[in-house]
Amino acid sequence: MRTALLVCLLALAATTVAAAPLRDPAQPPSAVQRAAQAQNRVHPASVGATLDAEALAHLRASFDAADTAHRGTLSRAEAQAGGFGWIANHFDAIDTARAGRVSFDDVRRYLKSRDASATTH
Amino acid sequence: MVTIRSVLRSARLAAPAALLAVVAACGGSDDNNNIDNSGGGNTSFVDGNHYSAAAGASLTTPNEATGVTHGSLTLGGTAVAYTTTAGHLTALDGNQAAEASIFYVAYTADGASAATRPVTFFFNGGPGSATAWLHLGSFAPKRLSTGIPSTTQGTPFPYVDNTESLIDTSDLVFVDAVGTGLSQAIAPHTNQDFWGVDQDAAVLRDFIARWLTVNGRTASPLFVFGESYGTTRVPVLVRLLETAGQRVHGVVELSSIVDYNSNCSVNGGKPTVNCAGFLPSYAAVGDWWHVASGGTSDLDADLAAVRSYADATYKPDADAWLADGTLPPASHISALVAFTGLGASTWQQQFDMDFDTFRHRLIANTTLGVYDGRMSALLGTPLDADDDPSNTFVAPGFQSEIRTLLPQLGYTNPTTYVMSSNAIATWDFSHGGRALPDVVPDLSAALALDPQIKILFLGGEHDLITPFHQTELDVARLGAGAPVALHFHPGGHMTYLDDGSRPLMKAELAAFYASATGAR
Repeated sequence: MRTALLVCLLALAATTVAAAPLRDPAQPPSAVQRAAQAQNRVHPASVGATLDAEALAHLRASFDAADTAHRGTLSRAEAQAGGFGWIANHFDAIDTARAGRVSFDDVRRYLKSRDASATTH
Repeated sequence: MVTIRSVLRSARLAAPAALLAVVAACGGSDDNNNIDNSGGGNTSFVDGNHYSAAAGASLTTPNEATGVTHGSLTLGGTAVAYTTTAGHLTALDGNQAAEASIFYVAYTADGASAATRPVTFFFNGGPGSATAWLHLGSFAPKRLSTGIPSTTQGTPFPYVDNTESLIDTSDLVFVDAVGTGLSQAIAPHTNQDFWGVDQDAAVLRDFIARWLTVNGRTASPLFVFGESYGTTRVPVLVRLLETAGQRVHGVVELSSIVDYNSNCSVNGGKPTVNCAGFLPSYAAVGDWWHVASGGTSDLDADLAAVRSYADATYKPDADAWLADGTLPPASHISALVAFTGLGASTWQQQFDMDFDTFRHRLIANTTLGVYDGRMSALLGTPLDADDDPSNTFVAPGFQSEIRTLLPQLGYTNPTTYVMSSNAIATWDFSHGGRALPDVVPDLSAALALDPQIKILFLGGEHDLITPFHQTELDVARLGAGAPVALHFHPGGHMTYLDDGSRPLMKAELAAFYASATGAR
């Protein structure tokens, strides 16, 4: 009896969802919401240095994706071929050691130095 | 003197010219390359493909043929001759393998210089919504005239010359994401492969690259314009474009949700975070319906007061109520009643006020719009049929016009243009290690790669789903020096539908484009 009721309720809920018009932005599935809520308690919205770190993590992921040989460094050609054309375009400025290859730390240093020169203006 | 009811905060980072010279490594511009799409006659294309928005759908016979027509629009006394191109382009991955056949309609001015003429790519959201909203309602050379928030305009809506078109400023490309409009994944991919925050942005990056290459426009100033979920999509897309080495001049975010984790109502039901970002929108709607006793005739001043109250008083009160159900002193409840017009008992029951409770309880026997709280329906009337009069009133008119328009643009196809797909049911929302996307770090990363990007946030003060103050709170995370401007006007989620606010937005956009292209 209780199972039947539950099935009916679930069916009703499914019907309601199907009939609702798309809202934009639309409501994510409830399991995703619960996972997000649990995360948000531990990691609230980032600002300052934490936001900078999250931004860098996106760039790091792109760097690692381009580094298909897992060498930890990219040549200009590897950066271009691997989808990180920004590194290829700024290669000489990033490769201050003229090594022909740049690490993600080199990228980070370049961003930081450019940031510092921007704020002195 | 025109009084502009807008909220403006602007802090622009001055572009250091010396730095520009050092890092100007983004490829040469082709000064003599004028856009040559005039002169030719109209071209019709009958596309025999059947496009599907199903998750498992996969296209085997993509094409890049187009329908081409010509038009002219006079803006500010100057005639702008333009070409309209409707069809598909194939987005290619890094190995030049086909990913998806993306449908677009492009409006390009005839005879402009490819080196200096901006091009703007427009994206609606959903996820799962076609870009017909921005295409037919906002800044294209023609637009649907809805007359909202009044609900007296009959359908079909008049499709009129758009005196607020951006065609005098930029070429305009309206793009449908995979599984919307007539866009579909190419085998062996299925639509589902591109139904995720990161996957969707990557394939749209590849579409933009394809469009720019095919049209000889890789050196043109590039702008990207998102609405609603499109404002989640666009920051990821812009970061990916900049990472790939394609510079972006300007980003326009209309009716924004840049952090799903901070919006108290997007998840439906009882909020789990405080709704301080919504309070000023409730006040604007209460003011519109003349139920907010605390309101004056000056909406800007009222909203400034509510904004302060929301951050300083309501936010900690709501956090406390969420934590253990503690209600604040009666004087705080009275203040909320005065600000919004919503009754004290409703605040006591649901102190952290979600938009659904607000819009169903503000006025007896009446549903207020989700997208535009100025629009209403009496319970049980046709406008109340899907619980959002601001959607019910306009949606059929947009759906019918896009289906009528495409053949007139020389593009004919047997399948039905999909206004909204079921992508939301299986969308991969994960992004940057979070279950729900926060794209403020994407904006931050894009600005780190290219500090010259300019960002403009626009929105409606009566939009109850992506409230303007929540956008202000989210964007503040970027810091005071970020090259960001925000303007909000009377209106709803599709703010451009408001005949009073669209001209204000057009003026702000024109200034924004001048600023974003003049700086380098």
